[in-house]
Amino acid sequence: MSPSVLICDDSNMARKQVLRSLPEEWQGNVQTATNGAEALTILRNNEIEILFLDLTMPGIDGIGVLQGIKKLNITCNVFVISADIQPEMQSKVKALGAKEFIRKPVKQDVLLNNLQQHNLL
Amino acid sequence: MNEFYLTEDQQDCLQELINIAMGQASDQLARYLNTFVYLKVPSIESVDAKELMQTLSQQKNTMAVVSQGFFGYEGIRGEALLVYQEEDSGRIADLLGYEPDELSQDEQLIDISSILTTTFLNVFARQIDNQMSYNAPKLLPNVKDNLSEHLQQMPFSWDLALKVNINYQVTDYSFNCNMVLLIPETAIINIKNVLDRILAEF
Repeated sequence: MSPSVLICDDSNMARKQVLRSLPEEWQGNVQTATNGAEALTILRNNEIEILFLDLTMPGIDGIGVLQGIKKLNITCNVFVISADIQPEMQSKVKALGAKEFIRKPVKQDVLLNNLQQHNLL
Repeated sequence: MNEFYLTEDQQDCLQELINIAMGQASDQLARYLNTFVYLKVPSIESVDAKELMQTLSQQKNTMAVVSQGFFGYEGIRGEALLVYQEEDSGRIADLLGYEPDELSQDEQLIDISSILTTTFLNVFARQIDNQMSYNAPKLLPNVKDNLSEHLQQMPFSWDLALKVNINYQVTDYSFNCNMVLLIPETAIINIKNVLDRILAEF
């Protein structure tokens, strides 16, 4: 069974970059969101096992999504994928419950390694 | 002049490359200032030469411009201008925590500008399989009177300017600056080809 995946990023290219890094057999079970509000709606109405989350987005940003997940008691493995690579940001998202911080542009081996480390692969 | 018309996909791709470059430039700035830099999604727009001249000359409170040339392979070259507004330039000294007798305000501006420009362009270049070298950054003297002259005296004829509006917030301070990249037509065509190549991979 492939896990249910949500990719949230305002950039179409960045979403595709994540999508094509995922194992082939997962591809059919992936949803996408272009902003934080959309992501929270999907998370509320679906069981999502893995969320790949961008931080810098217009409107509700990645931090807002992490806070929303906490507030709504949603269980989900969140991997932040961001260009904002400052160490303080990395520790902030982990404190808010993200499993890992992955820097952009995302590389397939790095992404798969991260999934493996959390026994999701 | 419509060489720089971008399709939706090209625009999205360029925006993402710029976001990544901006993220690393902020990281460098944060390390330099030893603080956290809050980054907004930078907006990008392209303006033609005439338009830019008008915009910049109408900004009466433009206080400082730091200019730095860059060169890559395959005809990619240009000039990066960092444009500061009057109300923001004074804050930079506060931000840096310099004592009045350490570095002059001019030197501080050049320092910050060069960190932003070179980090940004290095990361941008790496993503399009290129590599940049740079001229020394210089602060334009009497920018109010000399800016249009400076823009006309570039060592290449530039056809388009890519304006990246950057807003940095640093805990208690915020400052805005515009990064304006002046790019000749050959470089524009090359960048578009690279964007298409990246997009074709998907």
